[in-house]
Amino acid sequence: MAKINTKFGNEISKYGAVNFRACYNCGNCTAVCSLSTEEVSFPREMVRLSAIGFEDEIKASLKPWECYYCGECSTHCPQEANPGELMMSLRRYLTSKYDWTGLSGLLYKSLPISIIAFIITLIGVLWFAGSVGYELEKMIHFGHMFEMIAIAAVGVFILMPNVARMWYYTILKPKTKVSIAKYVKSMGELFIHMFTQKRALGCDDNQFRWFEHFVLVIGYLSLLFTTVFLNWFASPYLFVIILGYVMSAIVFVVTIDFVSSRMKRNKEVSKYTQPSDLFFVIWLFLMGLTAFLVRLFIDLDILEGNKWLYLMHLIVLVQWALIIVPFGKWTHFMYRSFAMYFAKLKEK
Amino acid sequence: MKKKKIGVYICHCGGNISDYVDVEKVRAAIADEGIVLLSKTTMFACSDSNQRDMVEDIKANDLDGVVVASCSPKLHLQTFQNVSMRADLNKYTYVHANIREQASWAHSDDKMGATEKAIHLVRAAIAKSRYAEALESTKVKAIKKVAVIGAGIAGLKAALSLSEKDCDVILIERNSVVGGHVAEFTSLSTTTETGYQIITRLYSEVLKRGNISLLTNSEVIENKGSVGNFSLKIRKITNNDNQEIIDVNVGSVLMATGFDSYTPGEGEYGYKSLENVITLVDFKKMIDSQNGKLVYNGKQIRDIVYIYCVGSRQSDGGNTYCSRNCCTSTIHASIIARHKFSDINNYHFNRGIRTYGKQEILYAESLGSGDIYLQFNEDSIPEISVNGDKAIVKINDILSANREVEVEADLVVLVGGMVPRADNSVGSLFKLPKGRDRFYNEVHMKLRPVETAIDGITIAGACQGPKNITESVNSALAAATKSYSILSKGELETSPLIAVIEEDKCSWCGACQEACPFDAIHMEEKEGRTIAQINNTVCKGCGMCAPVCKPDAINLIAYSSSEIMSMIDALA
Repeated sequence: MAKINTKFGNEISKYGAVNFRACYNCGNCTAVCSLSTEEVSFPREMVRLSAIGFEDEIKASLKPWECYYCGECSTHCPQEANPGELMMSLRRYLTSKYDWTGLSGLLYKSLPISIIAFIITLIGVLWFAGSVGYELEKMIHFGHMFEMIAIAAVGVFILMPNVARMWYYTILKPKTKVSIAKYVKSMGELFIHMFTQKRALGCDDNQFRWFEHFVLVIGYLSLLFTTVFLNWFASPYLFVIILGYVMSAIVFVVTIDFVSSRMKRNKEVSKYTQPSDLFFVIWLFLMGLTAFLVRLFIDLDILEGNKWLYLMHLIVLVQWALIIVPFGKWTHFMYRSFAMYFAKLKEK
Repeated sequence: MKKKKIGVYICHCGGNISDYVDVEKVRAAIADEGIVLLSKTTMFACSDSNQRDMVEDIKANDLDGVVVASCSPKLHLQTFQNVSMRADLNKYTYVHANIREQASWAHSDDKMGATEKAIHLVRAAIAKSRYAEALESTKVKAIKKVAVIGAGIAGLKAALSLSEKDCDVILIERNSVVGGHVAEFTSLSTTTETGYQIITRLYSEVLKRGNISLLTNSEVIENKGSVGNFSLKIRKITNNDNQEIIDVNVGSVLMATGFDSYTPGEGEYGYKSLENVITLVDFKKMIDSQNGKLVYNGKQIRDIVYIYCVGSRQSDGGNTYCSRNCCTSTIHASIIARHKFSDINNYHFNRGIRTYGKQEILYAESLGSGDIYLQFNEDSIPEISVNGDKAIVKINDILSANREVEVEADLVVLVGGMVPRADNSVGSLFKLPKGRDRFYNEVHMKLRPVETAIDGITIAGACQGPKNITESVNSALAAATKSYSILSKGELETSPLIAVIEEDKCSWCGACQEACPFDAIHMEEKEGRTIAQINNTVCKGCGMCAPVCKPDAINLIAYSSSEIMSMIDALA
């Protein structure tokens, strides 16, 4: 038994939901969805639960993560209730609920707070650079150290606890009984989805979107590996240098398409683009581009005279690692794959 | 009297008849019947060319009547009556035989039998034709005046419409004021005018018309006569509770007596037993009369639950129909409540929303502004309990996969529909037939929607069944035109196919009067004897009286006992 909570509608609207209350429950959205099945049916159910404000059920649900937003539901909605964007907003909402710090919610709901966070990190980096007298070697050294520490710290203190919270809300709290053996056996699901986003292939829209995304993920992860573990900027090995160039190029070239489609807002997916979506793709683009240029300047031996470039790269890197990865859209990389893992656990 | 001469036409109907019935054999079999002068077969009797041939045959041979053996009379009786009339014969001299539905189609497995049966059917028709005489319809004077009963929105609009046609109107209203339910509505959807303003506008217009006489505090207490000339007695309560009896004669009566709002039974959804439970009618008055905060019993109202279909769409007994205006009316009221008062949450517990047509706009507006719609069906209705000064309403919501959902409400509004007037005495006075829903019934729902089985009486507005204002006004204008069209020529033609009394045989037992559904038979003293008399303008020729008459004193014109017996003889 649960009480209706009409306030939830206002809350979810702050995460970007548009006009979902216009829904009159015809179910066209669920009917046209190519990922919805009889057992796991959406998005109408999620629209309904949002309308009556059943927060506990929404928090326990993995369905928002099982949607890959092709936008067919919104196209076919006779009430223009945008079920696709509601699912997107629920993902933002769930991200905030999983986050124990509460910072995700603040950043998603408020653009000014997001801008303040970016400014604070900017000032922090400038202050640090000033404190080492803008010495390039020290800055690069620090940058590399920072990357390693940030990955460890964000992973241990933010991402892991948050995934644990997601597990608590979706598996433990709803009292889903899962054997240890099942946890182990289903593990493969987690990695398959993490590295392939296989499920997105089930969407009816063009498979190019999936391919682009796949290439970007591989490019991003390789770039991360190259810069952090192979120390690309300081590496003398030709193979590593070329690998870094290729991967950083992939990242910023592919991201151009993502940024421009977000800017054009001409598809269901991009129509209601939120600042958090833009930050994610633009910072990814800047990461790739500045990394590429930094290494290029190193190879041309002109970085010393153009320290500003590295400083820019460092600023983007810090903002990415401290804002977007732990509290921004980056987390969908984890939650989506864990959702597929948990969904497998829930299967009878 | 010269011997009758008739022509008989046997139709192939393409092959519909001739594939199974040997039409040539039929023709040969009847060609020598006494009065048959001419017999023909034809591919399509109804074709233009055959119709022209028939007219020529009738004129050239000076025929007295025609028989066509073809399809059902429902399809082409009129066609061939018209052919007879074009050949200067009276249309009642025409006789029809149905050898398609009754022979070829019914016995397609037995061609011999079908042919045999067709021969008998045509012989029976010829037998009837011997008796078929020219009949003339009677003309009755029609008084160009209409009584409109009920001065609600339908009655007012009907009266004005008749008045524009230069027809005298007597507008009779039981209450002391006009306007009915609409006058009580403060806000209406899709217009900024209030119900009261609309009624006031119509009322002042009525007062300006010289040919409308408005009688308030008045009721019809007696009705005599029939279409063209109804004599009504009207009782008017004048000042000091005095009565005045007014006699009027009108040509037609237009009924616009409206509806009652459904009142829930005691305890139905906690009505009268729980203090937070009220009806939509009360709720509308409440929101109309308050401003700022919505207060009920001294407490501010925030969460309002509306329970739809109370006393409507009940599958077992009760009111099985949908009142069609209540969904819209409730949503409209809930939108006003949301706009007018602060902190309002609306919860609509419905059984499927029926805001048909443009009214859908209201539904969309309500959804968009955050109203919650929950759906139940008849076998799982919402439960109401009390917790402090709140009403807890529980439902297994169909739209949420039957999850049990509850709302803590400050107010529960029961949405009842429209029911027929509890006092239907005026309808009984005119013997108006009622449908299973106990509203007045039209002759044909689609094709004759404002006429009743009683000639000269039309119905308009919600006395016929639930309607919104638009629909009531539509039907009022239709009924006004229909009533006027009956009287417009100043005289009426009545069908000659009616019952007649053989006065010698009748000794008045009253059985025929009891059997007559149209009140067309009355008792009369004539030359020292008590006999039955038939009102020719009221009788419809239905024949209900004939079989109950023990001395066989009643004959139906064109269906007299001797005619029917001769047909049976031919068939045997």
